[in-house]
Amino acid sequence: MKQLYYKIKKCLGCKSCEIVCAVAHSASGDLFKALKEEVLSLPRKKVSFAKGNNYPLSCRHCQEPKCVDACMAAALKYDTEKKLVVHDKTRCVGCWMCIMSCPYGAIWPDAKVKIPLRCDKCQDKEEPSCLKACPTGAVAWEEV
Amino acid sequence: MKQYLIIGNSAAGISAVEAIRKDDKSSKVTVVSDEEGQAYCRCLISYYLAGDVRADKIFYRPESFYRENNVQLFSNKRVTGIDVKKNLVTCADNSQLNYDSLLISTGASAIVPDVKGINQKGVFVFRTINDAKGIESSLPGVKTACVLGGGLVGLKAAYALRKRKLDVKIIVKSKQILSQMLDNVAAGLVQKRLESYGIEVIIGQDAAEIIGDGKVKAVKLTDNKEIQCSLVVAGRGVSPNIDLAKAAGIKVNKGIIADSALRTSAANIFCAGDVSETYDLALGDFAVNALWTMAVEQGKASGMNMSGGKVDYPGSIGMNATEFFSLPIVSLGINKIKEGAQGYEQSQTLDAKNSIYKKIILKGNFLVGAVLIGNIKNSGVLLRLIRERINVSLFKDELLDENFGFARIIDSVKERERIYV
Ligand SMILES: Cc1cc2nc3c(=O)[nH]c(=O)nc-3n(C[C@H](O)[C@H](O)[C@H](O)COP(=O)(O)OP(=O)(O)OC[C@H]3O[C@@H](n4cnc5c(N)ncnc54)[C@H](O)[C@@H]3O)c2cc1C
Repeated sequence: MKQLYYKIKKCLGCKSCEIVCAVAHSASGDLFKALKEEVLSLPRKKVSFAKGNNYPLSCRHCQEPKCVDACMAAALKYDTEKKLVVHDKTRCVGCWMCIMSCPYGAIWPDAKVKIPLRCDKCQDKEEPSCLKACPTGAVAWEEV
Repeated sequence: MKQYLIIGNSAAGISAVEAIRKDDKSSKVTVVSDEEGQAYCRCLISYYLAGDVRADKIFYRPESFYRENNVQLFSNKRVTGIDVKKNLVTCADNSQLNYDSLLISTGASAIVPDVKGINQKGVFVFRTINDAKGIESSLPGVKTACVLGGGLVGLKAAYALRKRKLDVKIIVKSKQILSQMLDNVAAGLVQKRLESYGIEVIIGQDAAEIIGDGKVKAVKLTDNKEIQCSLVVAGRGVSPNIDLAKAAGIKVNKGIIADSALRTSAANIFCAGDVSETYDLALGDFAVNALWTMAVEQGKASGMNMSGGKVDYPGSIGMNATEFFSLPIVSLGINKIKEGAQGYEQSQTLDAKNSIYKKIILKGNFLVGAVLIGNIKNSGVLLRLIRERINVSLFKDELLDENFGFARIIDSVKERERIYV
């Protein structure tokens, strides 16, 4: 099972990962087209700054996910086979219980579409898009 | 073979079943509920009524859940008595069920306000899917609805009815809406948002009488003004369903008193969810926190302990998130400092134009409460500071900063960091 890791000493806070993430989750998958889409695609991860370091934040797909327990619509589920927290858009009502309960602050509200924004590890791709986007190699995708 | 019996087929009951089945695949698990069919997301009944959620998306678990978990479900069956000596419960249909380990997760019931004329057609409470369906089928021909109560459930009912294009008036006895969740500044912002979407909020008035001829015609307020309406929804809070426990001699206060393992005062009997009174981490005292999230986590902890585990439930907390007409709201722990309470301090930021408000309440170097309106980012990190009792002295002045988040507290949390290498 591969996990996303961040080598914080290498992270310069350029936010390339955020941009690539937003594009990867857009309808077109293309930067220039994505900017013109009706619903603007937003990043599923964010780089935050504290005490001289940059910390990319993204969903950790906890094995005991607090967001899943808190989801009053049963839209969030832990998929034990894929070892991922998965989200069913058709059930989500945008109540933001997940945001309130994430101990890492790694879920953000998409106010327009009313869904929580979370890293899905680019499930349908071979590897997370942010991996190659990082110019310094601060994003690692490795076996646990 | 061990027999588990769970009264209540909702958040707490289902989560207990899942916890039991994690450790114990073979024992007998029986769930009894006086509602019909499989468990559903109670908090979604307002979204159902609004038309936001389809009826088939309201179930909490798939229909196969009971079969797959080898659970015997008795729905439409009401438990009427518990014999704690014989380890036996009796039901309204005179059947009896025995147990080795019992969970009381009977939840709460909507309070029917003691108002003249309340028992008429067109008056509803709002607790079950049947209540929502009842309201829905009464809608044709209704122009105006009155909601009694400015709490969360009342407001959610009002939202749903407004989405159904009704004229909606909320009658609020206290000085503000959401008085259990918010302070008056936050409540003011929410009220403004409701009003801008056409909901009328009447503060400081109560229903003195429901006028009608068997069918609702109007609500008379305490100032004698009458509001013509043909639908009334009472959202006057809930009371824990403790009757069974009380009659069985189990220790109760407002709810059933739960110890730190969620055991009741009777042997082999546990409790969880809206019916239970647990230690409140922010208040430092026992309280009923009738919330979905609490029901799930208490169900889980009680289930683990019923099946032989030894988990300590550190305590509950009042916490809630919601949104009204695109205005997100989060409330954590204590939302206002009680008059005369010593040792508390608060700070806040307000951007009234954009309906953004953030407030935190501290007791010494510990966060004990927060209210967030309009910007709820990182609320989970604040919740963590409260629940894990993390000393905030290193970043006390930064808690309200736009960029305050997990990165800032990494060195203060107990868990070992694995993601940042
Ligand atoms: C409209 C609405 C909106 C809400 N919004 C929120 C929200 O935003 N956030 C939040 O945290 N919470 C919210 N809640 C509250 C939330 O739904 C409850 O906290 C939660 O359902 C509690 O779960 P529970 O399992 O303890 O009890 P309940 O859901 O009350 O279930 C109790 C079960 O016990 C059964 N039962 C009771 N007595 C007996 C008996 N004698 N015999 C057999 N069966 C019995 C009932 O049939 C039921 O199945 C909302 C509730 C409503 C109605």
